[in-house]
Amino acid sequence: MSEEKLKFAFYWAASCGGCEIAVLDIDEVILDVAAAADILLWPVAMDFKYKDVEAMDDGHIDVCFFNGAIRNSEQEELAHLLRKKSKVMVAFGSCAVTGGIPGLANLSDKKGIFETVYHDNASIENPEGIVPEPSSQVKEGELTIPEFYDTVRTLDQTIEVDYYLPGCPPPTSLILTAVTAIIKGELPPKGSIIAPNKSVCDECRFEKSDKRITEIKRVYEVEKLEDKCLLEQGIICLGPATRGGCDAQCLKANMPCTGCGGPTPNSLDQGGKMISALASILGLDDEEKYNDEQVDALIDKVVDPVGTFYKYGLPSALIKRKVMKE
Amino acid sequence: MSANKTIGAVAVIGGGIAGVQSALDLGDMGFKVYLIEKAPAIGGIMAMLDKTFPTNDCSMCILSPKLVDCSRHQNIEILTLAEMKGVEGEAGNFTVKVHQKARFIDIDICTSCGDCEAVCPIKLPSEFEQGLVMRKAAYKYYAQAIPNAYLIDKEGVPGYRGCIDCDACTKACKAGAIDHSQKARDIELNVGAVILALGTHPFDPSIKKEFGYGRFKNVITSLEFERILSASGPFEGEILRPGDMEHPKKIAWVQCVGSRDRNIDQEFCSSMCCMYTAKEAVIAKEHESDIEPTVFFIDVRSFGKDFDRYIERAKTEHGIRYVRSRISEIYEKDCGDLQLRYEDMEGDLHEETYDMVVLSIGLCMTKDRSKILSDLGLEVNDFGFAYSHQKDPVALVRPGIFMAGSFMEPQAIPESVMQASAASAQVASLLKDSKGSLVEPRPEYPERDVSSEEARIGVFLCHCGINIGSKVDIPSVVEYTKGLDNVVYATENLYTCSEDTQKKLVDIIQEEKLNRVIVAACTPRTHEPHFKKSLAEAGLNPHLLEMTNIREHCSWVHSDGALATEKAKELVSMTVAKSRLLEPIPALKIDVDQTAMVIGGGVAGMTAALSLADQGFKTLLVEREARLGGALNSIHYTVEGIEVQELLKDLSSRAEEHENIDLHIRSNVSNITGYVGNYTVNIMKDGKESEHTIGAIIVASGIKEHIPTSHGYGKDERIVTQLRIEDELSETSSLTEGETFVFIQCVESREGLRNYCSRTCCMGALKNALKIKELNPRAEVYIIYRDLMTYGFWERYYKQAREKGVVFMQYDIDRKPDVEIGEKLTVKVWEPMLQEEIEISADHLVLSTGMDPADGNPELAKQLKVPLNQDGYFLEAHVKLKPVDFSTRGVFLAGSCHAPKFIGESIYQAQAAAARAATILSSPTLEAEPNIAVVDVDMCSGCRTCISLCPYNAIESVTEVIEGVEVTHADINEGLCQGCGTCVAACPSGAIHQRGFRDDQILAMIKALGACSLGGGS
Amino acid sequence: MPDFEPSVVAFLCNWCSYAGADLAGTSRLKYPPNVRSIRVMCSGRVDPVFVLDALKEGIDGILVAGCHPGDCHYQSGNYKTNRKIKLIKKLLDELGIESDRVRFEYISASEGQKFADTVTEFVFRLKELGPNPLKEECQ
Ligand code: SF4
Ligand code: SF4
Ligand code: SF4
Ligand code: FES
Repeated sequence: MSEEKLKFAFYWAASCGGCEIAVLDIDEVILDVAAAADILLWPVAMDFKYKDVEAMDDGHIDVCFFNGAIRNSEQEELAHLLRKKSKVMVAFGSCAVTGGIPGLANLSDKKGIFETVYHDNASIENPEGIVPEPSSQVKEGELTIPEFYDTVRTLDQTIEVDYYLPGCPPPTSLILTAVTAIIKGELPPKGSIIAPNKSVCDECRFEKSDKRITEIKRVYEVEKLEDKCLLEQGIICLGPATRGGCDAQCLKANMPCTGCGGPTPNSLDQGGKMISALASILGLDDEEKYNDEQVDALIDKVVDPVGTFYKYGLPSALIKRKVMKE
Repeated sequence: MSANKTIGAVAVIGGGIAGVQSALDLGDMGFKVYLIEKAPAIGGIMAMLDKTFPTNDCSMCILSPKLVDCSRHQNIEILTLAEMKGVEGEAGNFTVKVHQKARFIDIDICTSCGDCEAVCPIKLPSEFEQGLVMRKAAYKYYAQAIPNAYLIDKEGVPGYRGCIDCDACTKACKAGAIDHSQKARDIELNVGAVILALGTHPFDPSIKKEFGYGRFKNVITSLEFERILSASGPFEGEILRPGDMEHPKKIAWVQCVGSRDRNIDQEFCSSMCCMYTAKEAVIAKEHESDIEPTVFFIDVRSFGKDFDRYIERAKTEHGIRYVRSRISEIYEKDCGDLQLRYEDMEGDLHEETYDMVVLSIGLCMTKDRSKILSDLGLEVNDFGFAYSHQKDPVALVRPGIFMAGSFMEPQAIPESVMQASAASAQVASLLKDSKGSLVEPRPEYPERDVSSEEARIGVFLCHCGINIGSKVDIPSVVEYTKGLDNVVYATENLYTCSEDTQKKLVDIIQEEKLNRVIVAACTPRTHEPHFKKSLAEAGLNPHLLEMTNIREHCSWVHSDGALATEKAKELVSMTVAKSRLLEPIPALKIDVDQTAMVIGGGVAGMTAALSLADQGFKTLLVEREARLGGALNSIHYTVEGIEVQELLKDLSSRAEEHENIDLHIRSNVSNITGYVGNYTVNIMKDGKESEHTIGAIIVASGIKEHIPTSHGYGKDERIVTQLRIEDELSETSSLTEGETFVFIQCVESREGLRNYCSRTCCMGALKNALKIKELNPRAEVYIIYRDLMTYGFWERYYKQAREKGVVFMQYDIDRKPDVEIGEKLTVKVWEPMLQEEIEISADHLVLSTGMDPADGNPELAKQLKVPLNQDGYFLEAHVKLKPVDFSTRGVFLAGSCHAPKFIGESIYQAQAAAARAATILSSPTLEAEPNIAVVDVDMCSGCRTCISLCPYNAIESVTEVIEGVEVTHADINEGLCQGCGTCVAACPSGAIHQRGFRDDQILAMIKALGACSLGGGS
Repeated sequence: MPDFEPSVVAFLCNWCSYAGADLAGTSRLKYPPNVRSIRVMCSGRVDPVFVLDALKEGIDGILVAGCHPGDCHYQSGNYKTNRKIKLIKKLLDELGIESDRVRFEYISASEGQKFADTVTEFVFRLKELGPNPLKEECQ
C-alpha cells in the first residue's frame, strides 16, 4: 500500500438510499476505510458542488462507488463526469448493476408516469395539469430541472463500468471483499462481478430435494411453512436463478429470494431462466394427464411475470422495457 | 467345439417390426445380420398405421427411428425386394438361398429426389396406400422408406402394367442412379441361424360377400381407414369416404371380419382388432368431432395392459357407441349410404343407415407363407400357422430356426417385439461361440487435435442434381459464403454424397487444414452419419460437422428461386455461426460389468436367468421364497398340454445346476446403487448381507391371485377362487352326475380401482370347465362372463367347451349375477333373450378374480428408480416398442410383473429381456450418446431443479470435497443421459451444457439470423 | 407496411417436427420461405431465453414445435416446453409484445401438411402483426 491515501467517491442516482446505509453497515471496518482512504465526494453525508468535481483532474478519484440507475439527465451527466474523474468505477447495488426497482418504471414511460403522478391520482389536486418541464419561465427568469427519461438504464448502459457489486443493497461481506481488495490493490480482472458464481440456493439454509410442484402459492397462502426449500412448497423463489453472496438472508427470514443478486454468470436473462425452471417443474407429476386448460390454469397462477421475474433487472434483461403502443 | 464352429451371422426373414427388432438386437450383440424383406422397403404393416393404441402414439414417429437405426447399423445388411428360397444345412451352419429382384435404381446413388417419378408416365394403384391412390412405375414405397431410395416397377400389378421402358427417367435422373438393365440375382448366405418374421396378411374381406366389400365403395377395411387417418396418407388426414369424397358422419365398425369365423376356416381371434377399432374411432372423433362412431361387436377383447381403461374412455369420454350384436348383411343405398342389418343380444333385428362402414379385418395365413413352412419341413397348427410350443414359443421344430411376430400368431406390436427379442436371445445362445466373429470392428482413425486452432470452416454446397440447384442459385450462395468470417473454403458439388465427392471431401479437409465442415444439402436425419464418417477419415472429430438442409426445408418447398436463394444464404450463415463454436465431442465409453441379476425366481425369472447363462453371462438369480417357481407352484395342468410341474422341475434343476447361475433363494435385494453396466447390489439372506457387482438387472417379481370380498366369498367353503378349484380338481378323481359348477368371470375386475383385465382368467375358467367335463361329461358347467377373452388361438378352447356342453351366459356390468347361500348355492343371472332373471342352483361357485401385482413392487420400484403404472404393475419404457426395457438404461422387466400373462408369454418375454440385457452385456464397454448434458460444477448451486426433470433418472445430487470445501452439486451420468436437453434448458443457473447444442451455439444461430433479417448478414 | 416479410425462426425437435418438415419437403408442399429452422434433439431443449433473445435480435416470429403429447422421443420434453412457452407468452403480454409472435405446435413425423400449414398461417398472422417492435432498437 502506498503512503498516499486512496481517494474514494460515493454517488447516488436513481436509488432508494439503502446502498448508502449499506456502506455504513460494514461497521468498524469503516474506520479502516477512513484510515486508508479519503472520501472526496458523498452527497448523502457531505456537502459538495458539482463544480468541485468538474475542477478535479481526470482520474483524480481512485474509486467511485456509484449506486442507483440512470433515469434522468442529471444522473447521466454525473455518471459521465465521475467516469472521467475516476480511475475505477464500481456499479454499486442492484439499481446501478441491473436497474433495480426503479427499473420497473420501464413498464411505463415518462408520459405514463407523469399521468399517474401528476394527474390521475386520488391524492393529486392539479387542475391546471402542470407537469415538470426541463425548462420553465418564471418571474425570476428560466428555471431548469433535469430531464426525465422514458427509459431507465443501468450504469453500464451509460458509461463503462469496471466492477459490479450486485445486491439490494450489496451484502456487507461483498462490500468488504471489494473494499479490502481495493485497499490491498488485489483487484480481479476488469468487468468482474464481485460475488460468487453460484446461485443463492448454494447458501440457502433450507433442505433441498428434487423439485416437482403441483401448484404455485403466494407466501400468505401457505398455512404452515415447512422447513424445506420454499420453491418446493410452491412459493416462487428466485434463489436458483440469482447470484448468491447474500448468505441467503431473505431465506433466513422465511422470505423467498426475489432476485436482487442478478443473473448467474452463464445466464443471459435471469427472468427467462427462472421462467424456464419454474415452468419445467410446475405440474411435473402426472404431466401427461393435464389437458391444455389445466395447464393454462397452472400457469395463470403466476401473476405479474415482469414484477416476479424481473423485480431488479428489467433494464438489463434481454427485453429491457415494455413496448408502448401509441 | 472348435471343430464345428458356428457361423456368427443370422438371416432375419421379414422386415416388419419383428424382423427389425431382431436385427437390431442381434446387430447390437455383435452378430452379422441379413435382413431380408420382400417389399421395396422395411417397416411392414406398422409403417402403414396412423397411431398406435393405447397411447395414441404416432406410428411413424416411433417406428422411423428404428428403421433408420437399422439402415445405419454397421452389422446389419438390408436386402429388399428379396425372398428366401430355401434353407439348407443345420443349426449353426445354414445356407440360405435368397432371390432378389432387380430394383433398376442403384440404392447407393439414388438421392431420393423423385425426379424419375415426376417424369414417369405410368400409373398403378399404390400398395402402401391400400390402392386408395395411384403411384408411378418409378416410385418410392412410402415417404420415409428405408432404404431411402426409389425403384422401378416393371412387373405391374394385376390389371395395370408396369414400366414401359420409355427411358424418360434415365434422362431425368441427374445422379445416374437408373439402370434398366439390372438383373435379378440369386444369393446364398452362410448363417448360423434363421429367424422367420414374415408377418401375416390382412384378411381379404371380399370373400365375405354379405359385407359388400369391393362392391360398395364406402365399405372399406380398417387398414384403409388407417391410411385415411394418416396425415401422410391419401387424403392427408382428412376423413373422406372413397365413394364420393364426402365427409362421412355416421361410421360403423364391424368387428371380427375374418376372425372367429367357422365358415371360412378362420376360427381364431386376431387379437388386435378390438383395440385398433377403439383407437380408430377415437381418432376419427378427434379429427372431426361430429363423427358418430358405432362399433358392432361380439366381445370386446381388451385383455392387454391398460386396454380396459382405453375402452372405457372411448365409451365415456369420446361417446363411442358399442352394440353387442351380429351383423347379418350390408346393403348399399343409391346415395352410397349403407344399410346395416343386425341382431342384438335380445334377439331383435334392427336396421340402421351409415355413411361409411369400416370392416375390422383380422389377419390370416397366406398360401405362400404356408408354403415356406412346409418347404422348410416345419409343423403347422390347425390354422396354418407355424406350430409353437408354449414351453419355448419362438422355437421351431427344426433347430436353429426361430420365429417371431404375427407370423407366429395374430397379435399386436408389443408381443411381436418381445418375440423378436426372444428369438434373438435364442440365436445368441446357439451362436454364443461365434458372436463377433463376422463383424468388422469400426475403423478407428487418429484424430487431429484442433483445440488450439482458430476456426477454419469449409462449406460444401450441394446441387443435388437439379433438386437444389434449379431453385437455389448455388454459385451465388458459394460467393456469399466465402465472405463469411472464418470460412476458408467454399465449394459446390453436383452430389455431395456421391462416393467420389466423399473422397474429395477428405482430401480437401486435409489440404485446406479445415477444422470445421459444413454440408449444406439435404436432411441431416438421413445423411449426417455419412458425412461424419468422412470427417473421421480425414482425421477430424466427426462432431465438427454441421449440416444445413437446403433441400427438404428450402428448394423443395419454395417456388420463388430468389427467395429460396436468400433463405439458403441465411441458413448457411446461421450454420457458420454455430460451426465457429463447435467443439470435438469425445467418444465416451462406459465400462460394463458383463454380468446380470434377475430378481424373482418364477417362470420368467428362471427363463431370463437361463437364457443369459446360456449366452455365457454370469447371472445372479434372487428369489424371496425357499422354492423356485413362483406362481407355477400353484398350477397343476394346462389346457394346451404343458406339463407345468415337469416344466418347473426342468427349469429349476437347470437353474440350480447351471455353472453361470449364482442362485440365492430365501433372499432379498436389500440395496442397489450404480447405473447401467456398473451396479452394486446387496443381497440379504438369513440376516447376512453379501455384495455383488453386476451390469444389468431384470425384474421378474411376479404376481398373485386377487382375494375377493364379494359374491359370498369367505362365507361358504363351496365358494372358491380359480386357483383353489384347480387344486381341488387336480385331487378329484370323479364327479357325480349333475354336479353343478358355476364360474363367474371378472369378479372385482375391469371396473373401479381394478379396471384391468387379467388376461388369463377366461382361459382359466375354460381349462377347469374342460377338466370337469373330462372328469364327468355329465357334470354341469356354467360360465358367466362379460367378454370372453379367448384371444388368438385360445379361441379354439372356447369352441371345444361349447361343444362339450359348457353353458356360456353373458352379463353386463350393470347387471351382475347375485349369489344366495343355502343348501345349494343359488346364482341369479339376467338372461337377455328371455328378458328375465334365471336361477342356477350350484354345488360349486368359482370366482375368477384375476391377478394383483406382487406386494414388493413399490419397494423394488423405488430401489431401482423405475415406475409402476396405476395398477401397481411395472411400467415399461414404451408400451409398443420397448416392452421389456425400462426407460432407465440397464434395467429390464419380464413376466407378469409387467401385466398378467400366460406361461408361454412369460417365457418369451423373459427371453426378450435377456436379449435386451445382452445387447448391453455383450461388450465390455458401452458407448454413451454424443449429445449428452454435462454439469459445470463451478456454476451448479445444487438447487436440484434438474433432477426430477430427467426422464432417464440420469441426474443425481452428489456431495464431494473439492479443494477442501464440501460441495453439493448435480451430476449427470454419462451412461444414462440420452441427450434430450430438457435439464439444460431448465437449469436456472445455466450450469448445464449440452454437447453439440450448447447455449452459445444456439444463440449464435439466432444472432446470425437476426443480423440477416435486418439486412446486415452479408 | 404492405410488403413486410416477417422473419421466423423455428425450433424443431429432431424426431418428430424436423421429420415433419422433411416430409413437407419430400411431399413438395409449398409454404412461405420466411422460416429458418434450428434443429434441437427435443423440444425440451428450448429455453425461453432463446425466445427472448430472438425477439431482441429483431426476429418477428418464433415457432417451437415438438412431438405430440405421448410421442416425445425422450418421453416428456414436450410437456415442459408447452408450459415454458405458455409462461413466456404471459410475460410478453405484460411487456407489450404480441404473444402471438411465439407459437408452440405439436407436429409429428407424418404431418408434413401440418408443418406447411402452420408456417403459412403463422407468417400470415405475423404480417397482420407487423414488424417486431424491438427491431428498431436493433438497427
Ligand atoms: S429455491 Fe429458494 S428456498 Fe429453495 S433452495 Fe433455492 S434459495 Fe432456498
Ligand atoms: S438445476 Fe442447475 S444449478 Fe440446480 S442442481 Fe441442476 S445443474 Fe445445479
Ligand atoms: S439431457 Fe435429458 S437425458 Fe440428459 S441428463 Fe438432461 S434431462 Fe436427462
Ligand atoms: S423428441 Fe420431439 S418433443 Fe421431445
